[in-house]
Amino acid sequence: MSGGLALWNVQKLSRDATSEVGEGLTTANQEYIRSYAESTALSVDLLLDRVHGDVKALAGVLQAQIDDPGRQQQVGATLSQEAPGSAKVVYDARGDWAQNLPGAPSVVSVWGYLLGADHSPLPGVQREIEDSTVLDLVAPTLMASGASKLQMYYIGPKERPIFRTVPYTDQAQTFDRLYPGHNKAEFWEFFFPGIYGSWQQWARDSASRPVADDITQTAPYTDAITGKLIVSFFHPLWTRDRTGIAGTAGADITLDQLAEVVERVKIAGTGFGFLTMSTGNVVAINPSGQAIIGLTSSSDAGTQGVTGLERSLRGSTQPAIASLPLDQNNDGVIQHIMLDDKGERVPYIVVLKRLKPTNLWSSGPIKSEMMSVGIVVPEREIYASLFAAQKSISRATNRILLFQIAAIAVSLLIVFAAVLGISKRITAGLRALASAAQRLQSKDYSVRVNIPTRDEVGAAGIAFNRMAEQISFHTENLEQLVDERTRELGDANQEISALNEKLQDENVRLGAELAVARQIQMMVLPKQIELEAIPGLEIAAYMRPADEVGGDYYDVLQNGPRVKIGIGDVTGHGLESGVLMLMVQSVARALQETDEGDPHQFLDRLNRAIYKNIERTNSGKHLSLAFLDFEDERVTLSGQHEDVLVVRADGAVERIDTIDLGLPVGLENDISKFIATRDILFGSGDVIVLHTDGVTEAEDQDKTLFGFERLCRSAQKRHGSSAEEIKCGIIDDLMAHIGIQKIHDDITLVIIRHT
Amino acid sequence: MKRCQAMEIKTDDYRVWTEESEIFFYGAMRLASSDAGAPIAALAASVLASNPASITLNLKDLHFLNSSGINLLAKFTIEVRKHPDVRLVVRGTPDIPWQSKSLPNLKKLHPAVVLLMD
Repeated sequence: MSGGLALWNVQKLSRDATSEVGEGLTTANQEYIRSYAESTALSVDLLLDRVHGDVKALAGVLQAQIDDPGRQQQVGATLSQEAPGSAKVVYDARGDWAQNLPGAPSVVSVWGYLLGADHSPLPGVQREIEDSTVLDLVAPTLMASGASKLQMYYIGPKERPIFRTVPYTDQAQTFDRLYPGHNKAEFWEFFFPGIYGSWQQWARDSASRPVADDITQTAPYTDAITGKLIVSFFHPLWTRDRTGIAGTAGADITLDQLAEVVERVKIAGTGFGFLTMSTGNVVAINPSGQAIIGLTSSSDAGTQGVTGLERSLRGSTQPAIASLPLDQNNDGVIQHIMLDDKGERVPYIVVLKRLKPTNLWSSGPIKSEMMSVGIVVPEREIYASLFAAQKSISRATNRILLFQIAAIAVSLLIVFAAVLGISKRITAGLRALASAAQRLQSKDYSVRVNIPTRDEVGAAGIAFNRMAEQISFHTENLEQLVDERTRELGDANQEISALNEKLQDENVRLGAELAVARQIQMMVLPKQIELEAIPGLEIAAYMRPADEVGGDYYDVLQNGPRVKIGIGDVTGHGLESGVLMLMVQSVARALQETDEGDPHQFLDRLNRAIYKNIERTNSGKHLSLAFLDFEDERVTLSGQHEDVLVVRADGAVERIDTIDLGLPVGLENDISKFIATRDILFGSGDVIVLHTDGVTEAEDQDKTLFGFERLCRSAQKRHGSSAEEIKCGIIDDLMAHIGIQKIHDDITLVIIRHT
Repeated sequence: MKRCQAMEIKTDDYRVWTEESEIFFYGAMRLASSDAGAPIAALAASVLASNPASITLNLKDLHFLNSSGINLLAKFTIEVRKHPDVRLVVRGTPDIPWQSKSLPNLKKLHPAVVLLMD
């Protein structure tokens, strides 16, 4: 993150720096180009000023002569005498002009129309020739000093336009060659049409000068004398009264001199300068520059006057140059243009700087002219430093970026290494834990981990070791424990097996016991024959021991005329109950045999015998027991047992409670005070129903007891039936009530019907 | 005074528990033998052992008791009879047949028994 920020910052810094430097360099460069253009313009102006100065100096001397005719004549005469070669002209028949012979400091040409019939100059003309010899005095000095000039000269006024030039050349001959026909025409109108008229106007009104200076410059043209492209600087001389033209002082410079200034322009790699007229005609440019801005040159041979040069920007093959504005608004302004370079568009900077205004003659009247210096530089060169700066900034930026990236990479590497190291430590711990856990899983409880770090993983390792120890301890203990338990179980199993065997024995014994008890119980019950043999009574009995042998008792004892029927219920079941019942039966039989006729005594004695026997056998049982003594139509009831039901012959039922007739037998030694008797009438057809609680307490599936009421109804609805029928009917109803429920207790039912 | 601990005997059919010196019987008790009633006898004996002024046998919710159970009650009554200073109260209801049939016997065995049949 911070690395990215740093990178972004560096990028931004680089952009800012590039932009700052770019702006600065652009400004500096443009300033530089502008200054360059200005200084070049100044150089040109300076050069021109020097020429102007030289021309003005010459003009000043000549004007002074004109203004002092006396001196002029004296100086002219003197000089002509001193150096006759300058004043004496020789007629040239071929050219029809006269010219002094070589050897003089200056050459003076006198055109044919200024010669008389004798081919010697007209009187006024000769005077002009002599007066102009003053040039010999001044011009060579001026030529040697000041600006480099091609030549300096004096041209006479329109009336006698002799042409005296320093230094001496074959002047007229050259004119003839270059400008045939000039000798027949008036000089000024032939060579510089319009210029003279302008000057004449200036003479009348100096304010009419386009520029407030007398110097008149010509457009470049081919010099008639040297054949070079030159620029002439004229200074008109005024008549003494300043109303007319008295001649002209002049100087020529070769175009090369001007061109030298602009061609010296060396800016950046291929930057160059040019000098252009306000018309766009380029007067100075080096050839490579000319090629770059697409100029073509031609001589304007078709126009009047001196042969000029036509090399206009307007005719450029480069559209940007052809339309380049040269007006005042673009003076010193940086212009960006595109130039075509072999099909490639290349950006250039152009600055145009105007020179001082000057009076210019091109053709026709003199006009004000401001030439311009142009500086052309390819942008990629002028901005080379900028590009270099940008490049170096970019290089620096890239370097910084690389450093930054490297730094970030190194720091990341360090962080990664640290993280890797830490994670390795952690994962080493975790790996150790994992493999230890696996070993633990495969029941190697001896496994322990060694994690030396003091972090959470280390803590986990310690916890793991503790856990492993505990597991190991418990497991080993468990194994011991299991061993022990297995041993114990084995022992227990053996014991159980032994017990089982015993139990089987016990069961067999119990089974035998039960079988014996059952047999005893059934054995002592009165036989059907006995019951049938009893006179006056019809007895039907039913006994069904419960699943285990119960303790129900009933007996019919007959001793002579006395019939005693007993019914009882020993608590509990099993052999013990059966034996107790047997004892009761035996004692009752014995008492019956002793002719014990008192029911009270009978029960009391029986209780004593049983109580004592129970005490001896420590059995803790007792029994309910009631006896009915039958005698004629009377039944004496004694002892406590279930209620006795009497169904009379007419169907009426009586329920006789026995609670107050005794106490359970075997609980107390002496129950005599609780024993009572109750007499019941028992007529013919009457039925007594005796039962044990096995009947009334038999449950149906809803645990509803059969109850005394049901027993009562069941017996009542069968009144009039035989004892056997009643017995069977009640048993049917009882069994229907019980259904499939378990029979908890012995069921005993005794039906006694008085016949 | 020695305070007896609350005890309880619980089977699917019946429940016997003590509250102070009152022994509550609930359900239908069908004891197969006097041995089966031994825990109940022990419970009653422990109440008696604490020598309370009065012991109450609350039988009002004991709907059925077979002869072995009645034997157990009779034996306990005879046992209490040996402690003249311990008053035995038997609470029952005449609506339940076995109670009206058997509980008067307890009074016969131990005339001091207070039999409340309400």
